[in-house]
Amino acid sequence: MRPNRRNLLLAAALSAGLSFGFRAEAQAPIKIGLTGPFTGGSSSMGVSMRDGVKLAIAEINKAGGVLGRPLVAVERDDEARNEVGVQIAQELINKERVVATLGFINTGVALASQRFYQEAEIPVINNVATGTVIAQQFAAPKEKTNYVFRTAANDIIQSGMIVEEAVTRRGFKKPAILADSTNYGQLGREDLERALAAKGMKAVATEKFNIKDTDMTAQLLRAKEAGADVILTYGIGPELAQIANGQAKLGWKVPLVGSWTLSMSSFIDTAGPNGDGAVMPQTFIQLPNTPKRRAFIEAYQAAYKVERMPSPVSAAQGYDSVLLLAAAIKQAGSTDGAKVRAALEDLKERVDGVVTVYDRPFTAADHEAISGNIPVFGVVRDGRVVPAHEEDVAGENAMRVKPRA
Amino acid sequence: MQILAQLLVSGVAVGMIYGVIAFGYQLTFATSKTLNFGQGEALMLGALVGLTVASFVGYWVMLPIVLAFGLLQGAVVERLGVRPAIKSKSESGWIMATIALGIIFKNLAENIWGRDDLKFPSPIGERSIEVMGVRVLPMEIAIVAGALAMMLAVELFNRRSVFGKAVVATANDRDAAGLMGINTGQVITFSFALSSMVAALAGVLVAPVTLTGATMGSALGLKAFAVAIIGGLNSGLGVVVGGLILGITENLTGYYLSTGYKDVPGLVLLLLVLSFKPSGLFGKKTIKKV
Repeated sequence: MRPNRRNLLLAAALSAGLSFGFRAEAQAPIKIGLTGPFTGGSSSMGVSMRDGVKLAIAEINKAGGVLGRPLVAVERDDEARNEVGVQIAQELINKERVVATLGFINTGVALASQRFYQEAEIPVINNVATGTVIAQQFAAPKEKTNYVFRTAANDIIQSGMIVEEAVTRRGFKKPAILADSTNYGQLGREDLERALAAKGMKAVATEKFNIKDTDMTAQLLRAKEAGADVILTYGIGPELAQIANGQAKLGWKVPLVGSWTLSMSSFIDTAGPNGDGAVMPQTFIQLPNTPKRRAFIEAYQAAYKVERMPSPVSAAQGYDSVLLLAAAIKQAGSTDGAKVRAALEDLKERVDGVVTVYDRPFTAADHEAISGNIPVFGVVRDGRVVPAHEEDVAGENAMRVKPRA
Repeated sequence: MQILAQLLVSGVAVGMIYGVIAFGYQLTFATSKTLNFGQGEALMLGALVGLTVASFVGYWVMLPIVLAFGLLQGAVVERLGVRPAIKSKSESGWIMATIALGIIFKNLAENIWGRDDLKFPSPIGERSIEVMGVRVLPMEIAIVAGALAMMLAVELFNRRSVFGKAVVATANDRDAAGLMGINTGQVITFSFALSSMVAALAGVLVAPVTLTGATMGSALGLKAFAVAIIGGLNSGLGVVVGGLILGITENLTGYYLSTGYKDVPGLVLLLLVLSFKPSGLFGKKTIKKV
């Protein structure tokens, strides 16, 4: 009698376990790789991006997931180091078997890592890194199909906007370029020089600085002696702050116009009042001027208990990258990499994101969701980024949409 | 002329930062022929502890607390990293140990204070002062004055006090000092404590001008090491002059040659010194008897 009962119990437990296991199989979560620097100098961008991504995933799961399955992010910190990025890519592909990967803040890491996704035919959406070559690395004719997409404004768009703002809109005649010595800074400097050349201009001074440089006197004095009336920058937060502080020290106040990194909290906080007035292209400003944006900002503030988003651009682009991926998986009806890529390239659904409304954002030939008309200029004022020109974000201009191909 | 003066003044300020960190290397090298390669991290910890403490008790009360913290931190490094190596007569154990401790301190700081650079408010204003067309931050003057005062105080202590004399005696000949009844082990611990105290105070001094964060020490520590080699590891005056030379050449090359080559002359100088006067510009030749 007794052993019988035990057997019965065992059998019941087993069958319960089995049926549970079976059900779990049917609803196995869809794994999405999520990688960026969550530590180190560019972590404010990485962490904001991650938080934006997780916010979107939580909302999608609450609404029932995709294909009846929940999304789950597999997070990995690439420390902004190329070799770590490569290891992570291999782990996510071979061990975690992710369906797609979102992320990359640093151009160098993206370029080193995404070839593994290309080979494994798994789509990657770069949601922050801006290096122009990123989306071109595997573009035709180099490869038949390209698995690399982007929801950030690339450096050609940004450098063009910077020059347009400084030269055309504000009428400066003698720009100086200050760029850091990394891939990001030097590729950006080349793009700036090209954009200036297109206007028949040349920088009066082109100066370089290293990450962690604390004294910008020499660079600033050279620019000043060359008669510069505006400084165009390509660098990241801490050193940009040293430029603003150095200007204040030398008592030489000319405007800073630079890439979107002038919106980093490490620039705004370390430069303090010296950073006021710096302008930079932004795909998203923490400004609730559409219902979708209001909901996003409020959800972000509530989820992460902050008033000022550390990097609103990264958070918004991260959030949107999830929406696009989810729509593509839904359209493909499958998590197969090739099918998801094909769906991204021919997205039927209009995706209502926070940066813009994505109406066929990608085609086989164009993997850039952000076009030149989408970013607007932000300006640092009292420790926050606000729109530099009210007319750019007012009325119809609030939602800027990529023209249909 | 005005530009040259501006470059020199800024160069002196930066050079003094290098010099005061290098002074810490010199302190421990004198007594034990070992270095704390975590000197940059000692500086970083001083700055971050100072930032936190200052928010509770104000800037001036914070200073002695940071000094005490530095002393303690240096003693810990010596006990954990250096003493076992000296005891076992290991030639390189202390190199690995101090580097490892430096990394641990950095990671610790990253976990406590985060990875982003923080702002260290200047206690004496952030508006620059203009003297005959040359602009200088009040904090830069404070760095130069503070660094000189601190080095002077350490030198005076070594020359006048009994304990200081024990330090000098140990520096001159450890075995002989030991035979004379000086507890040389304690002296070495003390020299490490002193060197980290110097670094911690340097951290508080430079933080309002540089960036404050877990990684602030790495680049500065390395530059200061170059300075210590250039100036001579056993000369207090040498490291100050070495620091000034490096700071000024960096700025002059940056302006007159190209900002892309800012760091090159310093490294060339380092190589030159190593090949022609390995003991440093101001270093005394030491003969190692085996």
